[in-house]
Amino acid sequence: MSLFGTNTGFGSGGTGVFGNTTTDSHNPMKDVEVTSPPDDSISCLAFSPPTMPGNFLIGGSWANDVRCWEVQDNGQTVPKAQQMHTGPVLDVCWSDDGSKVFTASCDKTAKMWDLNSNQTIQIAQHEGPIRTIHWIKAPNYSCVMTGSWDKTLKFWDTRSPNPMMSLQMPERCYCADVVYPMAVVATAERGLIVYQLENQPSEFRRIESPLKHQHRCVAIFKDKQSKPTGFALGSIEGRVAIHYINPPNPAKDNFTFKCHRSNGTNTATPQDIYAVNAISFHPVHGTLATVGSDGRFSFWDKDARTKLKTSEQLDQPITACCFNNNGNIFAYASSYDWSKGHEYYNPQKKNYIFLRNAAEELKPRNKKW
Amino acid sequence: MTVCNFFLQGRCRYGDKCWNEHPRGGRGGDFRGNQQPSRGGYGNRVWINPSQRSGGDYVQQSSFSRDGNNDWSRGGGGGGGGTPRDVKSSDFSFSSQNRFSALASNTPSEKDAQSSTDDVDTIQKDMEVWQTSGQWPFSCYSVLPGKLSGFVEVSPEELRLEYYSGRASGDLQAYMSSVQQLADQWRSRVQELRSMSSSTRISVISELNNPSLQTSTPGSGFGSTASGFGATSSSSSSSSTGFGAAGFGQGSQSSSTFSFAPSKTGFGAASSTQHASGVVSGVLAQSSSGFGCAPAASASSFSFSEPQASSVSVSSFSFRPSPGESSASAVLQSGSSGVFGADTALFSTHTDLTAEELKEFTSKRFTLGQIPLKPPPADLLVL
Repeated sequence: MSLFGTNTGFGSGGTGVFGNTTTDSHNPMKDVEVTSPPDDSISCLAFSPPTMPGNFLIGGSWANDVRCWEVQDNGQTVPKAQQMHTGPVLDVCWSDDGSKVFTASCDKTAKMWDLNSNQTIQIAQHEGPIRTIHWIKAPNYSCVMTGSWDKTLKFWDTRSPNPMMSLQMPERCYCADVVYPMAVVATAERGLIVYQLENQPSEFRRIESPLKHQHRCVAIFKDKQSKPTGFALGSIEGRVAIHYINPPNPAKDNFTFKCHRSNGTNTATPQDIYAVNAISFHPVHGTLATVGSDGRFSFWDKDARTKLKTSEQLDQPITACCFNNNGNIFAYASSYDWSKGHEYYNPQKKNYIFLRNAAEELKPRNKKW
Repeated sequence: MTVCNFFLQGRCRYGDKCWNEHPRGGRGGDFRGNQQPSRGGYGNRVWINPSQRSGGDYVQQSSFSRDGNNDWSRGGGGGGGGTPRDVKSSDFSFSSQNRFSALASNTPSEKDAQSSTDDVDTIQKDMEVWQTSGQWPFSCYSVLPGKLSGFVEVSPEELRLEYYSGRASGDLQAYMSSVQQLADQWRSRVQELRSMSSSTRISVISELNNPSLQTSTPGSGFGSTASGFGATSSSSSSSSTGFGAAGFGQGSQSSSTFSFAPSKTGFGAASSTQHASGVVSGVLAQSSSGFGCAPAASASSFSFSEPQASSVSVSSFSFRPSPGESSASAVLQSGSSGVFGADTALFSTHTDLTAEELKEFTSKRFTLGQIPLKPPPADLLVL
């Protein structure tokens, strides 16, 4: 149980200049601010796996860098190291033993970062920006899976410059998730493909998307036996679909829900609809968190089909989120996601990563009679 | 179990599926409520869980405590019940539900899901929501089972990367104008679908019924652009407060500025913008693979420089004019002067056009099926 106290001391309330009680809206939830955040929008966050002691957070950003912080039990964050790409970093992931970090970038390469030696080597090459990167650990093989806007999904053994396998996708890869033995990739034009990873990766099924608009993020969830059983898919239209792969009753079990919209009950004025930028499942409770362009995060219980909590509105969209390996920490990044075009881009605006104690708020809703 | 109040009133939506008790003898009626048809003509109910209220937000219960820590067993269709949760087939509680039904302004017709008329209605309402909600415009759109053409799919990251590349190379003008065109095209397509003229209706219905075909003749799409566009500028939908974006399109009326906000009148009326779209429609009519109207082959790689769809390289999304493969849509490639340079390649001269083409251009509206493939002469453009 980490001791993230409520007393943060970082940017809570107004800054000294204002000096009054109005809360500076960059951190209305008064969460712990990570020190030395990147200089441009944060595209991805990842916590270290349980095989490693302590909590290390990796964040990739549009400033072409990847940073590593150590998160201590008292809530302090210590910047540890940084690596650069030649293009914005779009996705990061850890290896299962926690010794390596894989980073994917718009410069069409992916790199492996050995944290002990602080060295990076390139392990992958695509014809287009690499959008997703995941580590796959199977009983008989291990590899890195990269999904790119060049419409291919490639699997790399880090020791070889050529991919072990390359699968063609119908469209550009927009988001992906891997929980062995299942991988889900959502592509442009509402494409949705499930892969099975046993023996070697192969396409398992193409699914007709339950959503009407562009896919934005996807996250796999597991059943009580910790086997991947379905995924949550978010779109730009403030909607998340929960989809089971082999449900007993698809019509009833699969559903969608609306989120990240304004004007909850007021139906007179048109709603503002925001994109769901990321979805993460709590590793212990199985509840999920969504973050959106409206600058809020929400926690949901998909089994009870209820919302657990919605945050206050931050002044910037929330672009990325993740849980740490035991589910005590929820990290989310507040930075511009380009949802309103270049006019709203302010390079001077500070980007933040916040850490929140997630042990209590994500407990599933109790069942009632 | 608690007795279901709604059932006693004769209006329990869940019928047999209700988790509360329905004492027999008090039966009233509305079994119809149980059939929550899904929207958008997809009777298969993958789209929305049918036992869930259409439009129901996730028990968001904004009228109750925001924390969702509400006693969601109240009201009809009690949410309680100890049914096992892992693969839940339960309904949830909908206490105040009818209040939410209009909330789901994009869940319009709840009637017979099969009728294509309702599909069309769904489309219209969805377009209206899309216009007013400030959501990301560059997305594909579908009403199951078919996908509607005319929409270009671009993710925010791709757009942002283009901006960054442009910024690095020092040439943001190309980015600006491309984004502008995309936005105009989107706006006109949305407006067209929203106002649903009879030709649009026909093409939409055929697309939905024939998902494999996916043809919408560029002509019809863009022929009505002229009227669509004019209508756009007059349909001022209130600008959403969005993300702190109060006065959205006000500042900049120049054609290079791109506004994601729901269209404000000022914006559409900017004369240079109209010029743009006039040119755009002319040009796009010419390259049949156009932007979103590209039939099946397309939509995948998104490149302004490609006229002939498919075979473009995998570096799909490129605003920068790339050499080769261009017919007279060199328009988009006049990198130097941007799209609206007074380039002769942009327009044809009168002598280039045949008599019929000239007739089309001079007439008030294009005739479907006879829309010229060459760009219009500059002097015929109405600014």
